Amino acid sequence: MSADPTPLVVVLLGVVLLAGIATALARDLLVLTVVFGAYSLALAVLWVVFRAPDVGLTEAAVGAGVTTSLLLVTVAHTGTSAIKTGAPADETGPPADETVASADETEASADGTGVSTTEPVIVLPRRPGAVAAGAGLVAALGLTLPALPAVGDPSAPAFASDAAAAFYLDTAGAFGVDNVVTAVLVVFRGFDTFGEVGVVFAAAVAVLAVVGREVT
Amino acid sequence: MTDAGDHTASVVVTATVRAVTPFVVTFGLFTMLHGTTSVGGGFQGGVVVAAAVVTLAFAFGVERTRRAVGTQRSLAGAVVGVGLFAAVAFGSLALGGGFLDVGTYDALGVAKATVYAVELVEVGIGLAVASALSVLFFEISRVVR
Repeated sequence: MSADPTPLVVVLLGVVLLAGIATALARDLLVLTVVFGAYSLALAVLWVVFRAPDVGLTEAAVGAGVTTSLLLVTVAHTGTSAIKTGAPADETGPPADETVASADETEASADGTGVSTTEPVIVLPRRPGAVAAGAGLVAALGLTLPALPAVGDPSAPAFASDAAAAFYLDTAGAFGVDNVVTAVLVVFRGFDTFGEVGVVFAAAVAVLAVVGREVT
Repeated sequence: MTDAGDHTASVVVTATVRAVTPFVVTFGLFTMLHGTTSVGGGFQGGVVVAAAVVTLAFAFGVERTRRAVGTQRSLAGAVVGVGLFAAVAFGSLALGGGFLDVGTYDALGVAKATVYAVELVEVGIGLAVASALSVLFFEISRVVR
């Protein structure tokens, strides 16, 4: 990490960090969704600063745009956006699911069908194990940060010691495809990309299959 | 957002979306078609077009946008997009090359045939991505209705 981060990068990383923490701590699903969109927006700008504008474009459109709208639509379906952390649910059902309960009567409307007069609240059980696992993962990944090469370092292993990058850069021009990213995606690794498009298509078909069964 | 079906935002929002959407869609198409020479490609252009559809839905109502765009038409677009990619992939087989070996298209004698084949793949990816994301948005937003 030889290159000093510019003030812009520091500010953007700070926004990303703060938005990420705010997303984890938000007590309202709508607030959570909007803050998560801001997280993606800052990340998108950061990609552009790091000279990956195509990733930034995708992050802005998918992360800040489409995902946020999908989450908003999903929140609208839940009937409530308030969440609170409570004791682990002691019902007989599988504990993995979040329970919709009124603030007063936890047992009565636990099946979600009862219309209560008070504002319903989604009760999330406390999971110290999950928090510990998340913190451990962050710590483990953080330990690897000093080993990363600087941004744009020409002696980084991806450029220096690997003949693949040189092959891609040399051969892409021969095909007339000047954008090496596109050349790698379509010309050299078209099989992967074909599978990715198949996955996107499968997502649309899967949603249609699920919705088609629920809407009679 | 239970009234999302007929909900219409204020005139400021609708007028802005009306003015901006053509440019956003054009930029998405540009990103798709210029993936070989500049930043972008099918995935990037496709998600930009899908974001324009979502913006329309937030301004003019999900239900109205869904009726205008059409789930069936979106799904057909996704099928055509995957089909374009598959056609290019199998077409190189027909020309005696390998599966997805776009370099074999130069045997057609057309100038820059490989570039056009890659562009066709990009357009197919963009069509599939934009259509699939539109289907996701439209159908998830009406699950409970």
